Amino acid sequence: MARLAYGLAALVAVGAAALGLHGMFGGAFTLRVGWLVPLGGLQLTLDPLAGFFLLVIAVGVAPASVYAIGSAGGARRGLGAYLVFVVSMCLVPLAANMMTFAIAWELMSLASYLLVLHERESRESLRAGWVYAVMTHAGLACLLAGMMLLGAWTGSSEFADWRAAAPGLGGGARSVAFVLLALGFAGKAGVIPLHVWLPLAHPAAPSHVSALMSGVMIKLGVYGLLRASFDWLGAGPPWWGVAVLIVGAVSSVIGVLYALVEHDLKKLLAFHSIENIGIILIGIGAGLLYQGAGLEALALLGVVAALYHTLNHAAFKALLFLGAGAVVHATGTRNIEEMGGLIKRMPWTAACFLVGSAAISALPPLNGFVSEWLTFLALLQNTHLARPSLSLAFALGIAGLALTGGLAMACFVKAFGITFLALPRSEAAARAHEAPPSMRIAMVLLAVTCVALGLGPTWVVPALATVAGALLGNTTPVAFGDWLTLRVSDGFATGSALAIAAALGVALVALPLGLRVAGASRRRRAYETWGCGRIGQTARMEYTATAFANPFKRVFDFLYRPTKKLDIDFHPESRFFVERIEYENPTRSIFDDWLYRPVLDGLSGVARAARAIQSGSANLYLAYILAVLLIMLVLA
Amino acid sequence: MTTVSNLLAFFGLVVTLLIVWRQSWPARRRLFVAQSLLLAALASAVGLFAHRRALLLVAAVVVVVKAWVIPRVLSRIGAGAPVRPIAPGRSSGMSVLVAGALVVVAYVIMLPVTAAAELPTEGAIPLAFAIALIGLFLCVTGRDALGHILGFLVFENGIFGLAILATYGLPGIVEAGVFLDVLVIVLIMEAVVVEVRREHDSIEVDRLRELRG
Repeated sequence: MARLAYGLAALVAVGAAALGLHGMFGGAFTLRVGWLVPLGGLQLTLDPLAGFFLLVIAVGVAPASVYAIGSAGGARRGLGAYLVFVVSMCLVPLAANMMTFAIAWELMSLASYLLVLHERESRESLRAGWVYAVMTHAGLACLLAGMMLLGAWTGSSEFADWRAAAPGLGGGARSVAFVLLALGFAGKAGVIPLHVWLPLAHPAAPSHVSALMSGVMIKLGVYGLLRASFDWLGAGPPWWGVAVLIVGAVSSVIGVLYALVEHDLKKLLAFHSIENIGIILIGIGAGLLYQGAGLEALALLGVVAALYHTLNHAAFKALLFLGAGAVVHATGTRNIEEMGGLIKRMPWTAACFLVGSAAISALPPLNGFVSEWLTFLALLQNTHLARPSLSLAFALGIAGLALTGGLAMACFVKAFGITFLALPRSEAAARAHEAPPSMRIAMVLLAVTCVALGLGPTWVVPALATVAGALLGNTTPVAFGDWLTLRVSDGFATGSALAIAAALGVALVALPLGLRVAGASRRRRAYETWGCGRIGQTARMEYTATAFANPFKRVFDFLYRPTKKLDIDFHPESRFFVERIEYENPTRSIFDDWLYRPVLDGLSGVARAARAIQSGSANLYLAYILAVLLIMLVLA
Repeated sequence: MTTVSNLLAFFGLVVTLLIVWRQSWPARRRLFVAQSLLLAALASAVGLFAHRRALLLVAAVVVVVKAWVIPRVLSRIGAGAPVRPIAPGRSSGMSVLVAGALVVVAYVIMLPVTAAAELPTEGAIPLAFAIALIGLFLCVTGRDALGHILGFLVFENGIFGLAILATYGLPGIVEAGVFLDVLVIVLIMEAVVVEVRREHDSIEVDRLRELRG
């Protein structure tokens, strides 16, 4: 039963991939079923952008479903929700009118909400589900408000009519619609400061669902943002682009900073999703700004970079979440301080996780490198803009992206090193076992995808350029070099992933070969690790994740605001001997303390004040009726 | 016609004010019967003058339902209740004053209606509306479930009178539906009140406060 359902989901993904590729390369259709959905009927349209996002969905769903066959076993809980989740995600990019979109969007949210509540017994899951439900519905309210305003102003609920009528709307009206829609989509994408649900919800769901939520679902927020800003509303004032660019830069830096100090493996990955969404938004923001300034080729480059990173993130984040799932499955904990040494017990998982880590750290020749490089190239050409004040936003974006790259690398050195290397830090880690075949197949599939996307930018980029060109209404074809070398913006920069990979491969071969030629001894010698002269070596002497993160905590303490808790029990005989020492250094989120706490306190204050009218006296309630009746009659 | 409708509506209002003033439960029930009979008279008068036979039937139904069935149910509901729910020393003078004020309010609110209407019954419309408002006011000030039910019935009587006067004869089917509703409501209230009394030994509204969460 469960196998059948997950197999079905994988088939849906294959179908979505086929349809998506068909759409990306010019296939288009419109399907209308008038009676199925109220207010306009069901209406699905395939265009290049929808096709691309269908492909992104397929890249996540197919391996995740294969993985679930092994990880979920025969468990039936959440099967229906999973299928609804997959199908509704496929419908979102295809939806071509307001009602179809709203229903698909809400189905997707509700199904994922049920999946977040997978472990209904744990308080943590309940809280995660609650926060997720509140944030996603606040976003939905913004979306509906924006869409209804657009519908009222253009007199139609069909997206095609919005496209045609939007240029005729006033600037203020379009900006109001943009802000509402962007807030709604940014909430789903997990952009800071609307990210609070993400680090709670992603770890709470089962790993194959986390992979989909993080790899695919939040991408549909990106899809919405692209649709709303480029397609429905047309070119806007520069501040749209500046806002998206700066929000993206802030999200990427703060997301990775929070990830650095997180020791829950799945939460760490969730914070990295915020970071990567930030990087995607930087590309979109650059595209918006160039589009507004009439620099079509550069706008195309920005959007291509964003799309490429969207696809890449779907691949490597799904891979990492599946790897984390395998680790959690094997050790029964999400805390990396209790792991270690897993590379010997789970070699497949470790290798795949390493590929994912290198990809997310943007190391060549993997896919993360290509898309971040393209984003940099889009940002670095801001000198073409006439207004120097806009270049300030670009400078912020460049600085944020550079800082993010370095910090992400540091974070994955920690995540991989503490989890997989050295000695096991707990009994559970020592007893860990390799994941079952279907889970390994899923991870290998994604790892291969990451490598392929990293090696093949000369094929991927032109395909994405046609998608972006269709979105921007850009008809002039842009050349991107030949099969070996990617030439960006007429030779502003050139790069060849294949050449880099070949060079790396040669270096890898040349090093041992050179040593051999030089006559170095290749005999394997086994010896103990040097341990400062101590006699016994135990896992307790290992470098910990807390220790790794501590320097960052000190440098960025304005953001983390860590509270130090040191608890020492001295030996009763002498203060020079310590019996037990406990060190805790938790961080506090400024967004919780400074943004959400005041808002929530204000809300509950209002609610408490409103409670005064709820006195419990039936007479008073009847008096309200009389008073309202009289007021209405007098006013009428 | 104008004289008759004005007179009947005026008597109806007086009876309503008496209901506000009196505190003994059997007396209020009898006053309600009187009010219902006055309404029946009003309905038959309009039926005669406007040549609407259906209204005569409506008047007969009013007599049966509101002057006979409902009062019997009411007396059954009130069987165990104290005759005077109000503690000694609390006068109903204030309530009568407010009721008087509501009559003024009713006139003010109905000014545009009476100005526009050209019916022989237009003079009585504010009076019927005042009966409805005072009925709602009775609901508001009711100290136990009986007071609420009575207030609701007076309110309904006022609406009924208003409907007859303002339209100069309603379609009988509408009236029949309304009667059925009122009858059902009273029967349900009976069941509820009997149940509440069995559970809590009291039907005083003040004690409902304890249910607040």
